[in-house]
Amino acid sequence: MTTTRRDIFKFAGGSALGALLTPAPWRLITDTALWSENWPGIPRPARGEIRAKFTHCSLCPAGCAVRARCVGEQPVSLAGVRGGLCPFGVTGHQLPYHPARLRQGPVSEAMAAVADAIAKCGPGERVAVLDLRPGRTASWTARRAMAVLKNGWYIAPVQSPVAVDLTKARTVLSLSAPLLERWGTPANVFAVRDGFRLIQADPVESRTAALADLWLPIRPGSEEALALGLAGQLTSAETAAMTGLSEHQIESVGQTIGFGRLSLVIDRAMSPAVVALNVKLGGWGRTIVPRAEAPVPPEWKKAAPVTDLATVPDRSIRVLLIDESAPGEYLPWDAIEKKLAAGNPLVVVFAWSANGYGRYAKYVLPTPVYPEATDDIPPAIDSPAPCFRIAAPLLAAPAGVVTPSEFIASLAGLPPADALRERARAIHQGGRGTLVTYADAKSVPVKEVKPDDFWKALNAGGCWVGQALPPANFRAPVGQALPPANPSQGLVVLATPPAPSPASPLFTKLYQESDLLLAPNCIALHPQDAARCGVSAGNRATLETPNGKWSVRILTDSSVRPGVVLAARPEMASASGKVVRV
Amino acid sequence: MNAQKKYGMSIDVDRCTGCGSCMVACAVENNIPPAHAGANDRNGLTWIRVYKVDNGEDYPGKRSAFIPVLCQQCGEHTPCASVCPQQAVDVDPRTGIVGQMPERCLGCRYCMAACPYHARYFNWWDPRWPAGMEKTLNPDVAPRMRGVVEKCNFCHGRWHAAKQKAAAAGKSEIEPGDYVPACVEACPTGAIRFGDLNDPSNDLRHPDSFRLLKKLGTDPKIYYRSKRDWVRNVAQASRPVSSQKEASHG
Repeated sequence: MTTTRRDIFKFAGGSALGALLTPAPWRLITDTALWSENWPGIPRPARGEIRAKFTHCSLCPAGCAVRARCVGEQPVSLAGVRGGLCPFGVTGHQLPYHPARLRQGPVSEAMAAVADAIAKCGPGERVAVLDLRPGRTASWTARRAMAVLKNGWYIAPVQSPVAVDLTKARTVLSLSAPLLERWGTPANVFAVRDGFRLIQADPVESRTAALADLWLPIRPGSEEALALGLAGQLTSAETAAMTGLSEHQIESVGQTIGFGRLSLVIDRAMSPAVVALNVKLGGWGRTIVPRAEAPVPPEWKKAAPVTDLATVPDRSIRVLLIDESAPGEYLPWDAIEKKLAAGNPLVVVFAWSANGYGRYAKYVLPTPVYPEATDDIPPAIDSPAPCFRIAAPLLAAPAGVVTPSEFIASLAGLPPADALRERARAIHQGGRGTLVTYADAKSVPVKEVKPDDFWKALNAGGCWVGQALPPANFRAPVGQALPPANPSQGLVVLATPPAPSPASPLFTKLYQESDLLLAPNCIALHPQDAARCGVSAGNRATLETPNGKWSVRILTDSSVRPGVVLAARPEMASASGKVVRV
Repeated sequence: MNAQKKYGMSIDVDRCTGCGSCMVACAVENNIPPAHAGANDRNGLTWIRVYKVDNGEDYPGKRSAFIPVLCQQCGEHTPCASVCPQQAVDVDPRTGIVGQMPERCLGCRYCMAACPYHARYFNWWDPRWPAGMEKTLNPDVAPRMRGVVEKCNFCHGRWHAAKQKAAAAGKSEIEPGDYVPACVEACPTGAIRFGDLNDPSNDLRHPDSFRLLKKLGTDPKIYYRSKRDWVRNVAQASRPVSSQKEASHG
């Protein structure tokens, strides 16, 4: 039998027709994406052993306990140990790869310049450290360093002397404090949220106001007046005139939070007027207690005192070192600048991105960022008991970054000792409190733990919890109420609750691919105000305040109080602002 | 033979602060990239999206609420599955989860048109992460290519991991605590809860709860709760409306 060319064609044709009766070609057509899904442009996730590590988030003072899921040594997701995490905490492991992250800086050049400037300080001129998150062990190192320098100053935002105990409160009156957003520790707040009635006095319908049991829409800047009115230092009529509430509303709130009713009044920073009101309501020792700090070695007590920026004489600081490595309270640059000496002051900023005070500094030195940085987190404002928890690094910091406390310590000639370990040793020697470990969910008295094991446990995400200070040993603070602010002229610019900045690039999900958050370059105002300013939604405009000018995009929102502009950036906040269409 | 599950969620709108943890946790878990420069609220990728809704009044009478909307995992006449020409959508009878197979997806977007909840998203751009950030990708989930449709699958990678863990322990059933979607785990207020709707021990299907667009009869497995009547009314609208964006887009 011979094979002809015709037979070959018949076989090929028959095979092609027969193949159509099999699933193979149809499957190949159906799974079209199989051909292109793994092209080089698509990143491939790393493979490796999956393990869990524990640490604490240092992105805000809450210091939530975190369980990190790691592939090898690389964290790929973060979750809360005692509940959920805020969006900043959930995406914290992405910060080391943020496009705005600084990796290199003129460290040795800055060191020489600072040493030279210190040597040339004139009489009355100072070297100062501005610490945006005081109370850390790194803060103690800076204070000790400033104590060594004869003209050293340690400046920090004023911290409230009290902590609150939400578990004891039956009614909480919040004066514009973002209690349900970024005030206190989320796990603590939401664990007891059903146990208290929440009254939110707020100029805008904030997220906390939206979920409060009662929202009192007060005038911006009148929080202190309401506190004074409820304390009886202003009459109901005066309070009503200043807050914009009715006398009936004020009296009704006053009755609700009356003396001995386990009421708690809070504002953003527990100001003296609010503390005084709580004391007057009988909350001392119950809903508010002295703020406690973890013990420090006795020799640290010689450190420089904490100085409030407002008390620093103008034009007195020759060298200013700003530690912005741990996100903290925002202080307006204008308030800082007027403290700098006239003529070529030296400003050095330690930060992981140049978006903050780095814009005004001569040197911006890159620092490790969470979760590379080793730091501790002081007790949050809703923590009645002292605690010591370490943000143990999950990743190694890149070469070229500098730790602010080491830089500052070297200026003063302090030995590069491990301050965190020294403090842990002091806590252990005290023998009080318990060690809580999350990996095995155990709580052990410190005196039953060996010193080395104690240190290892802290570095593995453990937490030392002490005992709350007995309030009987302390005198209740006396509030020195400030006179209420004058009603503002023009538009009042209010900022949303402060947040770590810059946030993970995934936050574009929240303000670009949805409108859940206000974008950093956007402001929101009431449609009436927008019409009055000649702008409408989507327009570009300039926001002008005494602090500066910003190019912004307009959003209109009828939940914003008329006369108020809502902005996402704290530096935009001002008592008077103007919106001008571009 | 394993008992059939019917996984579902309960979302307490009165506890949602609209913080966005669920949205970013979902993106982290499922390897969803940051927004492309040209992305906006209509073409972005947000498997779970929190809408801000309000009662329609002006300040100070205005009241707002936040409603997380994700794939509602329709149990009856699943609209997306019924229109897909590629069989890229299926309902897993073991779990009740509506799955999406990007390998099969042709990118025709019929499913997006059919979904009454606007909970499906088209991949308009190649997935891109800032340099180095691809190290943080979840190894259990493959990034999807441009040109396919994506949606919530109740973190199917976690379900597989829980199955493997159960199998390794010699169990046929997974422990309830071993399978929790990322949004549930991330929610700081505890507003989102997850479980087997067939399990009578949980109260996900509370008598006071409601479902989005219940009138369509698609039997969604996401149950919402709110004590506020106006929130319940808004939930029956064809699409939650955000005041800011409504104004922005005229």
